[in-house]
Amino acid sequence: MGQENPALTAELRRRLEEAEETIRAIREGEVDALVIRSRAQEEEVFTLEGGPEPFRAFMEAMDLGAAAFDAEGRMLYANAALGDLLGLTADEVLVRGICSALDPESAARVRDLLARGATAKSSVEIVVGDGRHVQVSASPLRVGVTDAVAVTLTDITSRIRERASQESERAALAILASANEAVIVCDREGRITHANAAVAAITAESPIGKTFSSAINLTISGFSAADPGSEIVARAIGGTPVQGIEAAAPDAPKCKDLLISAAPLRIGSDQISGCVVTMVDLSQRKTLEQQQLLLMGELDHRVKNTLALVLSIANRTANSEETVDGFQTAFSGRIQALAATHNILAECSWSSVRVAEVLHQEVGPFITTGENRLRVSGPDVRIRPRAAIALGLVLHELATNAVKYGALSSPDGVVAVNFTDNPESAFFSLEWREADGPRVAEPNRFGFGQTVITRSLQYSVDGGAELEYPSEGVRCTMRIPRADVVGA
Amino acid sequence: MVENATPTTPTEPTKLVLYIAGQTPKSISAIENLERICAEHLPGRYRIEVVDLRKSPQLAREHNIIAIPTLVRELPTPIRKIIGDLSDSEKVLVHLSVGD
Repeated sequence: MGQENPALTAELRRRLEEAEETIRAIREGEVDALVIRSRAQEEEVFTLEGGPEPFRAFMEAMDLGAAAFDAEGRMLYANAALGDLLGLTADEVLVRGICSALDPESAARVRDLLARGATAKSSVEIVVGDGRHVQVSASPLRVGVTDAVAVTLTDITSRIRERASQESERAALAILASANEAVIVCDREGRITHANAAVAAITAESPIGKTFSSAINLTISGFSAADPGSEIVARAIGGTPVQGIEAAAPDAPKCKDLLISAAPLRIGSDQISGCVVTMVDLSQRKTLEQQQLLLMGELDHRVKNTLALVLSIANRTANSEETVDGFQTAFSGRIQALAATHNILAECSWSSVRVAEVLHQEVGPFITTGENRLRVSGPDVRIRPRAAIALGLVLHELATNAVKYGALSSPDGVVAVNFTDNPESAFFSLEWREADGPRVAEPNRFGFGQTVITRSLQYSVDGGAELEYPSEGVRCTMRIPRADVVGA
Repeated sequence: MVENATPTTPTEPTKLVLYIAGQTPKSISAIENLERICAEHLPGRYRIEVVDLRKSPQLAREHNIIAIPTLVRELPTPIRKIIGDLSDSEKVLVHLSVGD
């Protein structure tokens, strides 16, 4: 035993007491942090209380999915909300990891994020199994003495949907407000999201939510695709505008003929978020075009008929007249009679004219105004152009005969015309009866005039005329076929 | 007079260093307790330095601090350490030898 060094003994005792006091204080919970010397011989402070446990309890109470990974990507901790978000149980999350619930592309992005998150805060957006959008954020974290990565998962589906719907709403409203024609807006999947009021003329049911081709049935001549509606929408969504294609919509309540254009819809960015289809109603234009075609055909037909009639009148008049003067008078009189009927037919767009109108037009020029020498009785009717032209020629011949030889050649003669309309009968009849003129004898020679009178109305079996020569005055009964009588 | 002499001059203030680690509950409690004890028992005769080892961990070396909070009586010598949150006033006063 060497000699005791009292100072050394005191120092050792002091150190022992200090060590015992430290252990006692730690054991009795009087300290909550320790100073630890690292391998690099540097002091570091670690707290005993306020460590991960309170924070873990706090994280479990959050709606946010949260997890911690070590530097090698091993999961240290994950809260229950994270499992819920990914559709995994707590055990599945710990055993299989979060990437097991993701498609390969999303899993790769999350792994890349974990690698970057060890040094700096970073985040990505992914879509999880049930179509929800999730924002994954990672940032550096220290867990005790370990370097780690804190990861949070936030469900941003509703935020994204709301943003998307607000964007499309705003754009569509602006477009619809400024459009008179039918406008349909489709989303990127080709489903109709908006349709303005004019679309009701093309489809009776609301097209919202349907695909374009299931809402509107289109046929387009010369279009190769089997489903032209879908093809037009697909082209526009693909970025190629479609302009001015004529299409028929056979099921449409009103507008069956359409001019269709489609263009990509870009909202805010260059990304195409759907397409806009505009449809102009061509029904009115088509009707007008058809009417015009009909009129041109009709005009052609009438001109040919008239020329043939004029030619026939010229030939026949030339045959029956002996002098050039006689031909000129008779021919121009007949052409004027034809022109007079044309005039009144033109005024009514060649639809129908009154018999009395034709009568006055043809006979009127031979009677002095104010004299009551033409007496008309019986119910008047409207007749079609074919009958009107023939009747006009017949009346012209009767009038010129009356002026030359009959009742209108003497100052007291009168012409009475009586209309008879028996609905049972196959014709409407007019009786021309001259009176108080010179005595009449049957002519011994019949000219072209008589042929015109008796034959002009014979274009139908129900039509025709009989000419008689009683001594008190010429009498003529004319029959207008029922088929050419329009009504009263 | 000699037998009544004390190892320190009565007028020399007591110099105390309190080592804490940021805002841990025991650190906060230790600061409050020390200020109360000194104000009650050493009015006007003390000087306190608070060292936050979370900010400057290397300062732990000077007094070889292991557990936090720790109070060191630097003056009067010899140096004495009190470990804990100083909630036991009697124990603190005994260790500081105040009232010897």
